[in-house]
Amino acid sequence: MATVVRTSRPVVSHRARPGAARGGRRRRFSGLLMAAPALLLFGLFGLVPLVGVLVLSLARWDGLGSVGWAGLANWTGVLGDGATWQALWLTLKVMVVSWLVQTPLALATGVFQAPRGRLRALFAVLWFLPLLLSAVAIGLTWQALLDPSFGIGATPGLHWLAQPLLGSPDLALYTVIFVIAWQFTPFHALLYQAGIRQIPVSLHEAAAIDGAGPVTRFLRITLPQLKYTFVTSSTLMLVGSLTYFDLIFVLSGGTGGPGTATRVLPLAMYITGFQAHDMGRASAIATLLVVFGLALSLLTTRLSGFTRMDSQQEGL
Amino acid sequence: MWALNDQTILKESVDAYNKDHPDQKITLRMFANDDYKQKLRVAFGANQAPDLFFNWGGGALDDYVKAGKVKAVTDAQVDLLRFTPSVLKSATFDGETYGVPANGLAPVVLYYNKKVLKDAGVEPPKTYAGLLAAVKKLKGDGVIPISLAANSKWPTLMYLEYLLDRVGGSDVFDRIAGGDPSGWKDPAVTGAATRLQELAGAGAFGDNASSVNYDQGASTALLYTGKAGMELMGTWEYANLVKAAPDFAKKNLGYVAFPSLSGGKGDPKDIVGNPSNFLSLNAASKNKSAALTYLKDYVMNGDQVDAYLAAGSVPPVNGLDSKLAAVKSDDKSWLAFVYKLVQDSPNFQLSWDQALPSDQADPLLTNVDKSFLRQIKPEEFGANMYKAAQ
Amino acid sequence: MSTATAPRRTLTAVTTLRRTVTGGATFVWTALVVVPVYWLVVTSLRGSTDFTTASPLAPPAHPTLDNYRTVLDGGFTTYLLNSVVVTAAAVAITVVVALMAAFSIVRHTNRWSRLTFRLYLLGLAIPLQAVIIPVYLLIIRMHMYDSLLAIVLPSAAFALPVTVMILVSFLRDVPRSLFEAMVVDGAGDWRMLFSLAAPLARPALMTVAVYDGLQVWNGFLFPLILTQSGDKAVLPLALTLFRGQFGIDVPATMAAVVLSTLPMLVVFVLARRQLVAGLTAGFSK
Repeated sequence: MATVVRTSRPVVSHRARPGAARGGRRRRFSGLLMAAPALLLFGLFGLVPLVGVLVLSLARWDGLGSVGWAGLANWTGVLGDGATWQALWLTLKVMVVSWLVQTPLALATGVFQAPRGRLRALFAVLWFLPLLLSAVAIGLTWQALLDPSFGIGATPGLHWLAQPLLGSPDLALYTVIFVIAWQFTPFHALLYQAGIRQIPVSLHEAAAIDGAGPVTRFLRITLPQLKYTFVTSSTLMLVGSLTYFDLIFVLSGGTGGPGTATRVLPLAMYITGFQAHDMGRASAIATLLVVFGLALSLLTTRLSGFTRMDSQQEGL
Repeated sequence: MWALNDQTILKESVDAYNKDHPDQKITLRMFANDDYKQKLRVAFGANQAPDLFFNWGGGALDDYVKAGKVKAVTDAQVDLLRFTPSVLKSATFDGETYGVPANGLAPVVLYYNKKVLKDAGVEPPKTYAGLLAAVKKLKGDGVIPISLAANSKWPTLMYLEYLLDRVGGSDVFDRIAGGDPSGWKDPAVTGAATRLQELAGAGAFGDNASSVNYDQGASTALLYTGKAGMELMGTWEYANLVKAAPDFAKKNLGYVAFPSLSGGKGDPKDIVGNPSNFLSLNAASKNKSAALTYLKDYVMNGDQVDAYLAAGSVPPVNGLDSKLAAVKSDDKSWLAFVYKLVQDSPNFQLSWDQALPSDQADPLLTNVDKSFLRQIKPEEFGANMYKAAQ
Repeated sequence: MSTATAPRRTLTAVTTLRRTVTGGATFVWTALVVVPVYWLVVTSLRGSTDFTTASPLAPPAHPTLDNYRTVLDGGFTTYLLNSVVVTAAAVAITVVVALMAAFSIVRHTNRWSRLTFRLYLLGLAIPLQAVIIPVYLLIIRMHMYDSLLAIVLPSAAFALPVTVMILVSFLRDVPRSLFEAMVVDGAGDWRMLFSLAAPLARPALMTVAVYDGLQVWNGFLFPLILTQSGDKAVLPLALTLFRGQFGIDVPATMAAVVLSTLPMLVVFVLARRQLVAGLTAGFSK
């Protein structure tokens, strides 16, 4: 329709020529073709499972036999179970405390790394080390390192570390959060480092001429200029905290223990699904996780404009 | 065929079979303990399960039987009569046998470090009261009285299994395993949980047991390095100790049956643990006859029985007295101890996490752990399990 | 005169204090980071008796490479190869497919492209743990269970959202006039993609490749659930296998950890700049 109307009008641009109209249709087709593989892949393994998890949450399946209908039984079971709410609470706690721990650490190390210099570069290299290890490697190392009998606590002078850091229900979660911080702080430090290096030197020079000391300059110039880095880093920390599964899995020997002290939502889902073989109930927990993730990203998007489609210059 | 790691003797029998049958070889794949059960479940779910699979019998095997995934074996096929009857019980459901014992007898016994106990002036405990007294003395001596890998949860369960048997006799758990959850409400369950907490409260396991992971070998190491006095563990620990600390195993390793409890209903000769592991046949197997040949002629044949004895493990077959008498290695007294323990026991209870259906294993271990950590009251343990078994 | 020196003295005092605090904090943080890594390496060089008796941080009395031999004999090369294959395949698929999608989104600003863009946005918020059960079911139904492809495809799919986002934001900044000039020349979409967008986006492609590569390389959940056999295990999963296998032998497990980290160390030494850029890909523009 549109092309017909256009061709009947006086030609004003090359777009409206009949030949180009055919090209336009071909272009639309090629555009679709280009988008198709990604959509197919993502649709199959991302979107279909997203619907699938909701459907399975209404089903009964023990992983062995056939899939049957369960109605809302899984949901009443999951929502009526104190363990679910505890897992949700632990997930929130890990998220918030991790953010509180990592942000100042990352900012401080980022600020230290940012200026160029041989010594600072050396420290930057050392601090980078945790990023080379996978979560599983980190989990295994720390588990052995924190063993009260043969780990670090056996070192003369460090016997105060010979405590059930991963075994006491009161300490385990904080130990896990510490190890998470050990793993991820270097990454966020890199973000802050990059953010700081982008602050125009002229700003600092001007302030210095005005007589501002380093502390004042840090508070008045560096911090405000890091606003977007702060938002990015915080978003990644909060959303990323839903995926600390690997590390907690290894650190707690796959049980989320001691007791259920480190059984966060993803771990509760895994144990219900793949150890107790109740896939339906596990899917209900997984749906909670999806809702949690979506709500979180919606919230951070609102607060930060992180995912704005237009100008990406400042944020992303 | 699938099995667990470190099953060297099993591997040798597969090699022997493959040598005799070059045209139809068995491929053996070995797994770590923690992941094995989950992998197996997934493989059956995906119809990619092995022809023969290693298992513990009990409720977990029954799950597969009920789902029609396992083929029963008969005496004519695999010569069942040669095995210890109390062991076969773990793989028998509705009168049919669904597996062949494929490992040494694995009752749980109390190991101790002779030197540590002697230094503290403690005799190996024969009664529960004696155990408590020993704990007190060892603690006063500055060592961990009993090494326990509570971080792995299942070692803690062994205490509850023994304590329940000693307090209430074997009937209580038989009822539970038979599908009657009200067994969890038996006062003996609370009695057992109370005594576990009593031991923990007395400092029997030191301050750090909850951080000790069995897979890292720390609980074993505590015993042979003399940092702990005793350890309650399955018979496989003997081989671990011999391998990790041969000198210790020769000179300072002692072992006794779990202490008796005065006033308890249970027979002090009752034992718990894993009667044996089993090899079971996948119902969908395309190589049934080859698998049966292997089970009949290569599992627990004369060579394998000798190999188990040589490795310090007692195979689950009848009439071993003469063979045991002929053993000349350092393991002789150990082998005789285990054989007698099993032969004399009126009841050999399969460990609960294996005996119960798999959906109850996690609540069981979690509640055992919470009970040990004294996060729940003794009476809550039975109540929680009753709820989980509904 | 005296009024001039007083503030200067307080200033130096403040500076000294600041330097002390900075120095102390730097020391503590460095110790926290380095000591575990040092312990890891030292422990991997110990014999098992040395491990239970020696002071954990002391250098090993009789350093031995036996643990490394144990690990290498335990099939390490298979696991390494699997990891390399899986990572390379997943990254290649993701980057190619995402570049086409990003180009299509940037060049065709209509309702559909906005919708697909929002789909990927949504994808950013889906924790992959949450959909593992349906993915597992899907992989079984597609008869891909226990194959390397079973790790590659879902890993590639879950790397797509962030990759598309980064590439879109990069291509958006390419001056429109460059594309328009090619349109005038009569170039179609495909030619524009290959001869303009792809070369221009090379730095961005590098960074997303490194970023996606790291995610897949370290990925644990997909291999854990979607494969079972030892000969299909990738490194992170193999580490847990080693742990079960060596059990009692902590030094051997630590040797496996060190070996599994070596490839990353090599990348770090050879291409630190690209690695850092890839790590923070698109997040710190």
